Amino acid sequence: MIGDYKGTVKNKVVVALLQAYHDILDYDGMKSILREAEMMHLKDIKDKNPNESIDFFSFKKIISAQNCLLYDSSILLFEIGKKFSFYLFPFGINFEEIIDKINSLIITDWKVKIIENNTNEIIVQVNRCIFCSEIGVPCDLFEGFLVHSLQKSLPSQDLVIYEMNKQDINDPNHNNFVVKLKIKRNFK
Amino acid sequence: MMDEGDKKKWAIKLTVLGDAAVGKTSLINKYITNSFKEKYQPTLGVNIVTKDIQIQEDNSEIQFLLWDILGQDKYELTRQMFFQGCAGTLLVYDMTRYSTFERVKTKWIEDFKKYGKPDSVYLLIGNKSDLKDSIKASSEEGKLLADKIEAVEFLETSAKYGENVEKAFRILFSHVLEKSGVKIDLE
Repeated sequence: MIGDYKGTVKNKVVVALLQAYHDILDYDGMKSILREAEMMHLKDIKDKNPNESIDFFSFKKIISAQNCLLYDSSILLFEIGKKFSFYLFPFGINFEEIIDKINSLIITDWKVKIIENNTNEIIVQVNRCIFCSEIGVPCDLFEGFLVHSLQKSLPSQDLVIYEMNKQDINDPNHNNFVVKLKIKRNFK
Repeated sequence: MMDEGDKKKWAIKLTVLGDAAVGKTSLINKYITNSFKEKYQPTLGVNIVTKDIQIQEDNSEIQFLLWDILGQDKYELTRQMFFQGCAGTLLVYDMTRYSTFERVKTKWIEDFKKYGKPDSVYLLIGNKSDLKDSIKASSEEGKLLADKIEAVEFLETSAKYGENVEKAFRILFSHVLEKSGVKIDLE
């Protein structure tokens, strides 16, 4: 891991991420990631105050361990991203609020913003995405997060279809990207 | 593959597959930490460990990601996602339980071919060879099955005493690397 990792991350973000690992990879899978990150002490973080924070460097160690162990496992990462959204925002809030909140829950040198918001299409720009900053790592997790976050704010019959330009994951700037989220409306 | 300066870094995903309690976790533990636990504790989901190998000739570092995937049937759907990107596997059965031997041909090899990478490689492993008085699947049957499923090798291992454990992983690594165009003798 290289770079300057300053910032803070609310405990509730870590809890949601660990819960997502637990759901998709089960207990030993979650432990594998924490062990690789040398962060086993965070295993019981759910018992702590969700509004307190950990330092961003510790959080980034978990993400780096995840990206190392789940190399070439894009389906799993996408599913983990969906679960991460589910546990971080379990109650129905709209997509715009989710984008605002994710920026305020993870405070570091990154930015997620909505650059277009039309009836049937929302375009999200992610600058210096923290979930895929390593060279060679695509951003399946955060795509899953965005897709599920929008999906759950829509009526149940509507469907989110997403588009993302193919990234050259060996480009050091590949963690700056745009995701188009198209909404397929099904009127009854 | 990633380039770090002049050094090439590779990550290769491998699995260990087989019925519950055939000794998948014990084989990995023996190989990675040279330890063995008598008491059986089932894997919950997937346990992932890494093994780094330096290749001087090629100025490369290869990180093998070893996925120890649970054997219980109730996790069928999740398990399919675990196979994505997998370049090789050890197909393990317990030599003292014939049903685990049968399941290699009726279940594990089929699943691996269906969900793993095309052209991936696999070894057939008969584990618990130290329990000589209880063996139900003979060496001859193991060899025949390995030929039938076109495994690159058949080995009998004892995770308890370490017999052939390192050899099994090294053969798997060598064959996977060979498929990736890296010729090196780790055996």
